[in-house]
Order: sequence, then C-alpha cells, then structure tokens
Amino acid sequence: MNAQAAAGRLPPGFEALEPFVEHWALAGSANRAQARDTSTESDRVAFYRAGLTLAPAALDYLDRKPLSELDEQDRRLLSLTLSLCHAALAVETQGVDEPKHAKMRGHVRITRGSDKRDA
Amino acid sequence: MDEVGAKAEAIVERLGTGPVPAYPYYRQDYFDLEVAAVFRRTWLQVGHVCELPEPGTYMVRPLEFAKTTLLITRGPDGVIRAFHNVCTHRGTQLVFDEGGRKTSFTCLYHAWTFNHDGQLRSAPDFERFYTEKSKCGLPPVAVDVCAGLIFVNLDPRPKQGLRDFLGRYAEELETLPVARATNFSEYVYEVDANWKLTYDNFQENYHLRFIHPRSGGAAVGEGNQFGYPVAYNFNGPHRGQTIWVNTKAAPTPFQAFAFGKQAGFAVADGFAGGARNKEYYGIFPNFFLLGSATQPFSQCVMPVAADRTRCVIRLYWIGEDRCASQRVGREYAMALARDIHCEDRAVIEAGHRGLSSGAIEHIHFQSQEVLCRHLFNTIDAMVEDYKSGRAAAGGAT
Repeated sequence: MNAQAAAGRLPPGFEALEPFVEHWALAGSANRAQARDTSTESDRVAFYRAGLTLAPAALDYLDRKPLSELDEQDRRLLSLTLSLCHAALAVETQGVDEPKHAKMRGHVRITRGSDKRDA
Repeated sequence: MDEVGAKAEAIVERLGTGPVPAYPYYRQDYFDLEVAAVFRRTWLQVGHVCELPEPGTYMVRPLEFAKTTLLITRGPDGVIRAFHNVCTHRGTQLVFDEGGRKTSFTCLYHAWTFNHDGQLRSAPDFERFYTEKSKCGLPPVAVDVCAGLIFVNLDPRPKQGLRDFLGRYAEELETLPVARATNFSEYVYEVDANWKLTYDNFQENYHLRFIHPRSGGAAVGEGNQFGYPVAYNFNGPHRGQTIWVNTKAAPTPFQAFAFGKQAGFAVADGFAGGARNKEYYGIFPNFFLLGSATQPFSQCVMPVAADRTRCVIRLYWIGEDRCASQRVGREYAMALARDIHCEDRAVIEAGHRGLSSGAIEHIHFQSQEVLCRHLFNTIDAMVEDYKSGRAAAGGAT
C-alpha cells in the first residue's frame, strides 16, 4: 500500500506508524504474538524504533477516552502499541536469539487476553 | 557461606541430603500410585470464581489422570458445585463444551436433563425405569473456594477441608490480587514430561542463568549469580520462597515503560509494595502462584499421563482493562512471562528423555533445590502410606 492510500488510518500525530498498520494493528493477544512470529527482523526493528518513540504520546492520547469510546483510528493505534509489547521482547530482550526463541514459542498457545472486549 | 545459603543448609539437614531415586520421575507404576495416593485424594486447583460470574454459568475441566471430566456449576442459588460430567442413566459424557451458561444440562443420548444442583429434572418415559429421580443425581465431587480459587477433591470423603489443607496459606492467599480477580490472561502448553519434573523447574532458581540468559536479567547477578531466594518456608505439604530481585538490573527501555504503567495500577489497587509482592506460594501438589501485583502469575501443572503434562498459566487481573495504558501493561506482563516459559519447556522435555532412558538410578538436589526435595519427600511419603494401607487391607502392593 502506498503512503497516500495508507494515510489517515491512525490519529493525527502518529503518521510515522502508518507503514506498520498492516502487519501489526491486530485485535487479540494471540494474533499480535503471531505478528511477532511472522515478522522479519528489519520490520521488527523498524517498528520497535518508531513505536518506542511514540508509545508515551500514544498512551497519553488514548488514555483520554474510555476504551469503549475509541474510534477506528484510535483502536488501530492501541493495537499497534499492544503489538509493540511483543516486538520489544524480540528486539530488546531476545536480540539475535529471536529466531531460535520463535520456535520455542510455537508450543505455547495464548488462549485468553486480559479483556474479552479485545478480540 | 552467605546467610541465605546457611538457612538453606539448615533446612536440608531436616529434609535429607541423599540422592533421590530417578524412577518416580518417569515410571508408569509410580505414576499410578501417585494418582491413587495423591491426586485422587487431595484438593486440586481447577479454576477461579470469575469463570462462574453469575447463576446459571458452568465450566468443564478435564482430569485425564482420573479418566474423568468435571462439570462445575453455579446454581440459581449462587452456590458453586462440582460433579462428574457423566449422565447417570448409562454413563454417557453429559456436557461436551468447555463452559458458558445453560438453564439445564441435557444428555444427548436419551435426553435425561439435570439441574445445576445435579438433580435429575426430567427423563423421557421415566415411569418405565425401576428407580426414582431422587436417586439419579449427578455424582458429586467435593469443591471449595479460597481466595477466589476453585479447588476440587475426588475423594468421596475428603480427610480435611480446604482451609485446613491450606493451613496458614489460606489467610495469606486471601490478601493477594487473585482473591479480587475478575478476569485473567491465559496461555497453555503441553510438555512430554512427568508432572514432577515440570513442577520442579519452577521451584528452583539454579537454572535461571543458563536457560534464561536474556529474559531472566533481573533474576540474577549482583552477588547472587544464581538468583537464589531470600528465604524458604514450609507449610505442611506446601512450600514457599521469597523471591530475590536484582534491583540494580536496568530494565530495557520498553520494559521500563510497560512496568511503569503496571506499577501505577498496582498502587491504585492498593497492592504497591505489598508485604507479599515477592512471595511464591507452592500449593501441594501441582499449583503455584506469585503474590506480585504486577506479575500476578499462577501455574497449574496438571498430570495427563506419566510422561505428559499440561500447564495452564494465568495472570489474574482485577477488573476489565480500565484504559489503554492498563491493557498495554497487562499485555507486556503476559508476553514476558510467556517468553520465559517457552524457554523452560524444551529443557523439561530433555530432562524426561534422559531420565526415562533408565540410564541413571538417582538424581541429586543441592541445598538450593530444597523445594524439589520437599515435593519428592511429601509425595513419596504419601505413596508409601498408601501402599502400607493397601497391604494392611490385604491388597497387593
């Protein structure tokens, strides 16, 4: 998807995260964990770097509304921030061991996230 | 020797120092004895009251070691009851799904229908039977709740109540986040290994620096290179430890951000700096949980067979996600715990492969693996008691 078509999928101010919407903006913890598993190293690192910079502003912005009142753009931004949890573990913690670690994760199924409204 | 090491040594003197036989960790005959001596007559954690939030809800739990599934209900009267999930007509499994809400439970075979209290409500053409409905209730199973945790006991006449069984832990558990939980994150894995081998992995820290070199950063270092606990405690068949944390370990940037969010909500819930934040509760035989408010983590290590175990890990939360920050904090807590567990699973299987070859007759526990020794001692004493009882009753041992 080119940049023009992708524009507007996130709230204003978070345009830098647009390239990551397709792969990472997913509902459900298991889907987000899978996005980590199927990501390439370069995509993970790029997402992590862009996300880490914007995460504080993203949560400050999202926390102004109750979860039930988030619109579609807001929900994408929240899903991206949630996926950042998984990407951060890959980039910050596992580093070069991430491919080996991904194989181990395949056996451990996420069966429930913290809130049934996120599914 | 440091102070913690000295304390562990003192405990070991009580529990023994000798090598432990290897066969109980893989052999079918020993597993069969454990099922009879322990799992069929001990309180077992199988769920949480938040899974039965309202009258009319129910859940089904498999207990493969006993070749049964349990139907656990909350009746219109609000009471939680447990039954064998089996129709009393001709023994057909009654409920096939995992849980939800129903007004009654109808057997697919001949439509016998049961209430949440287990009573047979209706059965087609019942007047042709030679029995009474009042004698056809579902087979009950003892059930009780502590700290929101649902426990069952397959013994038709449990030797002690749940609170007596838990001893002083009962009161402590009631103060933890789990007691107020309304929902949870969950992940599940199965492992080709004996349940004790699996459980033991989570009650010793000796392996942390080798198996979790990246994910276990805050658990080791700074004069405690193996991350041994600050203290151990024993409570009848149960056991605990006070976890040591390397306060000088710097969290990674996103970790610091996510932990910061979590800590803020722990303060709001009244658990910040709680006295039991660093406590690990090992509830005999196969359940443990942490007292932490930011990683309120529990694991049920359920034996499926002598060489197969299912682990259900939950992080119990108080309330639905209140805002985006709380959801992110919870997601990170769950994902981090899962990352660490993924690393444990493979080495547990490797342990079972090695032991089940029969190549070694004994295993060795060092002083800081004393909780593993306590589990073995407790199990083995119960198995020996069971064998003695059978011998006295004239049965084969």
